[in-house]
Amino acid sequence: MSELRFVGSNTPRPDAPDKAAGRALYIHDLKRPGMLYGKIKYSEYAHARIKHIDTSKAEKLPGVRAVITGYNTPEIRIGFIRDNFALKRGKVRQFRDEVAAVAATDPEIAEEAVDLIKVEYEELPGVFTPEEALEEDAPLVHEEDPRGRPRKDNVVPVPWRFVSGNVEEAKKKAKYIAEGHFETPLIQQSCMGTAGCIAEFDLQNNLTIYTKTQIPFLAQNDFNRALAAMGLRGRNTRVIVPTLGGSFGTGLDTHAYEYIAILLAYKTGRPVKIVLTREEEFISLSPRQPTKTDIIQGCDENGKLLFREIKMLLDNGAYTSWGATTPSVMMLPISSMYRVPNVYYKTTIVYTNNTFCQAMRGYGNPQATWAIESNIDDLAEQAGIDPFEFRMINRNIPDDVTPMGLQISTCGHKECLESVAKKLNWKEKRGKQRKMARGVGMASLFHVGGSGRVYRSDGTGVIMKLDDFGNVSVIAGGVEMGQGFNAALAIVAAEALGVTPDKVTVVTGDTATCPWDVGTHASRGAFTAGNAAIMAAEKARQKIFELASEHFMRKVKKQLEKRKKKDPNFELPELDYERVFDTSEFDMKENFIFLKEEPDNPLLRVSLEDILRAAHFKQEGTMIVTEAFYDPCNEMIDPKTCRGNLSATYIFGTQGVEVEVDLETGKVKVLKFAAAHDVGRVLSQQTIKGQIYGGIVQGLGYALCEEYKTEKGRNLNPNFLDYKILSAPDINFPIEIECIETVDKEGPFGAKGVGEPGLVPTAPAVANAVYDAIGVRIRSLPITPEKILAALRKKAKG
Amino acid sequence: MRKFDYYQPESLKEAYKLMEKVKGEAVYVAGGTDVIVRIKQRAIQPEALISLRGIEELKEIRENGGMSLGAGILFREIEASDKIARQYQALYQAACVLANPQIRNVATLGGNLCNAAPSADSAPPLLVLEAEVELEGPGGKRRIKLEDLFTGPGQTAKEPEEIMTRINIPSQYAGTGTAFLKIGRVSQDIAIANASALVAIEGGVCRKCRLAVGAVAPVPLRLKSIEEKIEGQKIEEELLQEVEKMVCEAVSPITDVRSTAEYRRAVSGVLIKRAIRQAAARAQQ
Amino acid sequence: MKKLIRFTLNGHKVSAEVESHRMLLDILREEFELTGPKEGCGQGECGACTVLVDGYNVNSCIYPAFEVDGKEVMTVEGLLGEGNKLHPVQKSFVENGGVQCGFCTPGMIMSAVALLNNNKKPSEDEIKRAISGNLCRCTGYVQIIESIKKAGEMMP
Repeated sequence: MSELRFVGSNTPRPDAPDKAAGRALYIHDLKRPGMLYGKIKYSEYAHARIKHIDTSKAEKLPGVRAVITGYNTPEIRIGFIRDNFALKRGKVRQFRDEVAAVAATDPEIAEEAVDLIKVEYEELPGVFTPEEALEEDAPLVHEEDPRGRPRKDNVVPVPWRFVSGNVEEAKKKAKYIAEGHFETPLIQQSCMGTAGCIAEFDLQNNLTIYTKTQIPFLAQNDFNRALAAMGLRGRNTRVIVPTLGGSFGTGLDTHAYEYIAILLAYKTGRPVKIVLTREEEFISLSPRQPTKTDIIQGCDENGKLLFREIKMLLDNGAYTSWGATTPSVMMLPISSMYRVPNVYYKTTIVYTNNTFCQAMRGYGNPQATWAIESNIDDLAEQAGIDPFEFRMINRNIPDDVTPMGLQISTCGHKECLESVAKKLNWKEKRGKQRKMARGVGMASLFHVGGSGRVYRSDGTGVIMKLDDFGNVSVIAGGVEMGQGFNAALAIVAAEALGVTPDKVTVVTGDTATCPWDVGTHASRGAFTAGNAAIMAAEKARQKIFELASEHFMRKVKKQLEKRKKKDPNFELPELDYERVFDTSEFDMKENFIFLKEEPDNPLLRVSLEDILRAAHFKQEGTMIVTEAFYDPCNEMIDPKTCRGNLSATYIFGTQGVEVEVDLETGKVKVLKFAAAHDVGRVLSQQTIKGQIYGGIVQGLGYALCEEYKTEKGRNLNPNFLDYKILSAPDINFPIEIECIETVDKEGPFGAKGVGEPGLVPTAPAVANAVYDAIGVRIRSLPITPEKILAALRKKAKG
Repeated sequence: MRKFDYYQPESLKEAYKLMEKVKGEAVYVAGGTDVIVRIKQRAIQPEALISLRGIEELKEIRENGGMSLGAGILFREIEASDKIARQYQALYQAACVLANPQIRNVATLGGNLCNAAPSADSAPPLLVLEAEVELEGPGGKRRIKLEDLFTGPGQTAKEPEEIMTRINIPSQYAGTGTAFLKIGRVSQDIAIANASALVAIEGGVCRKCRLAVGAVAPVPLRLKSIEEKIEGQKIEEELLQEVEKMVCEAVSPITDVRSTAEYRRAVSGVLIKRAIRQAAARAQQ
Repeated sequence: MKKLIRFTLNGHKVSAEVESHRMLLDILREEFELTGPKEGCGQGECGACTVLVDGYNVNSCIYPAFEVDGKEVMTVEGLLGEGNKLHPVQKSFVENGGVQCGFCTPGMIMSAVALLNNNKKPSEDEIKRAISGNLCRCTGYVQIIESIKKAGEMMP
């Protein structure tokens, strides 16, 4: 490949200056003329019948324009199995159930009005663990399924099950076996910018909604369905995405608060804004799926993995959202991380009266990897093999097809393992620092790198529009949420087209004007939009060179004549100004078109904008707009066999950490952190580093201190005072990262996705290091000093 | 948030008059980092706030052998004080780890004490320094020992209409060292347990010892019986191990959203042990 | 109750009649339509609302508006020079990857400015302490710390 000018560079993000100047407009900053403020009343019980809602006092409060409940609005069913409702009727099933809502002329009046709404409940017994919910006579969270048929138990009908080979036979053949029970808690995405929207109808009852979403087009579909339920079938929704204050998966769903804003906007005829406070965000926005995992793995006498058996119990919470689909992603590492011929995986998902869960960065992979990679170390110990060596024996390899049907092409797993082992001085340190209560540990990851086909279309469209000044608008359907989508796309577009990045403006976030995209998830943004941009750029170049074949020499002549006028001593060269060109003779780089045969001739180059203007401002002029829709060559998983090549390519990585444990306080001190990620190709230095460092720090939070605490369904720490995320002084150790470039043939300039992997293997790497340091294995996250001290005491007692 | 009136008196007398006027429905506020947050959390809903920020005499610092700090002294100012950093290291250490710069730029020492959280970081250092506080109200002035101020979690012996005006730290022996330690879930945290020690060494032997722990009992706690065991002894490892056990038995922590009683109990002993070591090392410098 | 407060905002003398229960953050965002300081938590925990009052960084979400009377307030908007010229700290954040989703950025920059105005060559530890009250969920802080260090080198 010829030298790349912008791919891999340190080009700053195009969105950074506005953000640094405080000018970027988030949902919190947006106002619409005549806007009202909405506020939601949440349930006061985890499980109760709604006996009566008295809204009379609230309605009379001056400034209140509407008070709605599930009883005076059309029923809107939400969630992918439609077991949830925008406003609840009949009964409440969790503390965060939305029971009523108000729209008022200012936020303080709205808050006061919500307090004036009185709801009478009849409390019902609830179930707060999946085990409780599975008991014989457990109260039912849902008495009926979404179709009105009576339910007999609390089991959610989305059974995920994967089988390859024969695990029972393999158990008999295995020389070494390790088993364990592992748990992960509820944790919150904790975006710095909370969720919110502004809903507004026009006079034809078409809806425009400004909202914090990662799925503008799927949201458009969801909201159109809601409009139909409201008697507005055939009306359309325009979703506009403002600057996002982070997302981390919260924007992969449409939420009750959005539907409530829509209902209020329709009822009042005014735009209605609902923005969640931090407390509401903690309580009512769905967190990461918790898991309880029983894992058994076995290997032969040489350390080769023979089988992996995993049974998981998932607390679904009161309604079904993406948390219930995390097993479909967990299946990837479960079936395919390391080469394992025999795999059995089963999940049971159970309704409870706890909060329900949605997507969070990694989407199940961190939870599965926590169990797998912790247990791999246990198994390696059983086999008497160093954990790094054990991983090298079983590592994934390029051009392999896994039992799930995942077609691995590029695979930098080996390089990642070696990189981390080297950075941590693994051989010198592993197993040798127990006296100082120090240890090293590592863990790997396996994730989708070329999108993940979870919908029938996995496509992304890009439109390229050139103006008279050589500026390029790259209009894409994805969203920028801080991960660097705009930066990566600008770089890819510029490189592919042959312009400089400062000429590129990335335009996103409007379903009315941007081409369709399934959503910015599965680390797919740069991969899919980048490929679509390359396709659109190729079309644009073709058109540009067609124009050039007509206008190039004319322009060259004009330029030379101009120069002669300025400088009479200049000698006009002998050129064939009537020459007819084939488009293949041209090239364009950094805004200039030139001839391939003479790339360095300063006289034979014409700026892009000159060619574009010449083609535009003439009889039967023309302008250039091209588009492309890229749908990767991946497959949906067959629901019966759970097999299929889910992604166009896969990513690998290893993280490792050296820790020191304070034996008296149980506190874990990180001494050094190393990460190596197979990224295919670095598109943007700044953004890739940001994704990896940011992922690592989120991963360390998951490992060490983040936990959403509940008591009988009630959130006990809905604030940053008691839900702890790491701050700058916590990062008091060096972090060394390495990007391994395997240059994938499917990715734009070889790049693979990198949005999620940064936090997938972090927690087990820490647990494995703690084990090396003090000989104690913590099996539930977070790895708190309380758990370590308790485990040390237990160990001391023998 | 419910509305409240906000008064800005310029003298203590004015403050009392306002408190009397609004009687029972008003609360004093200094930096606001506790009071405003509690209003926003709807834990309290006063009709009015009477701000002490504009009262100059609450900011005076006087030196008289020891140090008399106006209750309105900011934690930022404590952090920046060379004298406190040298002579009352524990207080300096506590000021450095209390919350973060934004909070320290407005939060006051008096506010931290009057809020009376069992985990208040400024309490253990001032307890081992045997500080006294001055309270003033419409009825007059009085002084009480800091250890007598705290009566329960969030509760003090101060009457609602009284204002804490000064925190007086007595002069200390030469050869006195103090230390403050804190454990949180992460670096930016309310203490799960904190501890302070004051040690004066003379002739290789501990002449004076004061110990205090926080977040492990309903109030920040002096550990007087343990202090007595240490005074007159050489500070050696065997003694410290014993002290650690005694501390664990002396405290009465709870399990809450932040930590467990068992953990707090275990760790309080460790913190005291380490605080004594640090204070002793400083005493001998 | 209401009061007319008079203060200096980003170098300009301003005034506003405000209600007694309102916080500085509300006044800045509503009366003065500034979008830089943000509400991230409303309880003084996250630092997204950080502004400078008389040069010190404070959480404006719990700073009573009445108290700003007679003082000097600086928000991230006040750092821009003529012709939309970015302040060295802003420029450094842009060039060194200190900005991702950007929600924490205005507050983070103000804490950095408070530090660098007093100490242009801070150690890494001093930088971390200075921004210990500014939470960020995107960057992992590494490139933010780098941005602040480099900004100090660029400041006059």
